[in-house]
Amino acid sequence: MSTSSLHPVATAYLQQVRREGRDLPGDRLTELMIDLEEHLSAAIPVDASEEDAREVLDRFGDPREIIEAERPVSMVPPERRGPREWAAIFLLLFGFIAAGVGWVVGVVLLWRSRAWTTRDKLIGTLVLPGGLFLTGVFLLLALGRPRKEMCIHYGTGVAHCTHISSGGPSTLDSVALILLALTPIATAVYLARRAR
Amino acid sequence: MVAKGGAAKRDAAISQLRRGVIEFCVLALLADEERYGFELVQKLAGEDALVTTEGTLYPLLGRLRREGAVETTWRESSAGPPRRYYRLTPAGRKSLAAFVDEWSRFRGSVDAILKIGDPQ
Repeated sequence: MSTSSLHPVATAYLQQVRREGRDLPGDRLTELMIDLEEHLSAAIPVDASEEDAREVLDRFGDPREIIEAERPVSMVPPERRGPREWAAIFLLLFGFIAAGVGWVVGVVLLWRSRAWTTRDKLIGTLVLPGGLFLTGVFLLLALGRPRKEMCIHYGTGVAHCTHISSGGPSTLDSVALILLALTPIATAVYLARRAR
Repeated sequence: MVAKGGAAKRDAAISQLRRGVIEFCVLALLADEERYGFELVQKLAGEDALVTTEGTLYPLLGRLRREGAVETTWRESSAGPPRRYYRLTPAGRKSLAAFVDEWSRFRGSVDAILKIGDPQ
């Protein structure tokens, strides 16, 4: 959106409209924003006083009202965050404990809910699949991985090797582990905040 | 006796009536000439009884575009950014003609009934 010919009050207003309409199909919102921007750039001179700008916007209407008018009749307003949404978030994080079935149920709940947009649902599904499962697997691998191998060579070409565990993950492993743990948690927080 | 919630009901009824006719008013404004969005909205907003919030007319214009009742062209403007001009399609013209006919009958019938029912 080019905002060069827009009054700052109109720019803020349009941002509010965009937020209200975030669950509209993408092309519908884009088209609407183009129209509204064209109107407001014609209706409010860039150098208008804030009072005058607000008066025009009062007449123009509440952003929510405009979005409601744009919403297809069949499109029921999104649900607010309820028990199903919380269950989806919990299962996406910890669903792996029931042999992975929990996570799948979480994904189903996520996609069936109207509290999130398609973009939110894609993020919830793909970042990261399995939730904290990968973190657990990585933790086990990191702890169990032998760090050093000590071999005693016998003259006959036979060697006896012993694995010596370092007793804990390396720094690199720790960083990867923290990232793997934080990513699904960050996704869960994101989903909780985005659900309306 | 005034019915409970009478004013709210009346407001809702007027609002529905307004919603029902406003799209034909848009088509009528485009019957003889093409206009750009801002101009159309200003014309409609000039009629107090028709429009309460100007912004809600843009979703209506979008719907008329998608339904093929109007078509649009972008034109450069000397006064600012390019403008989207609206004009009636043959389908829009047909729809308007049918409404004008229906509206005359509707208005006649309602007026007649209102006169009969008028306590004055």
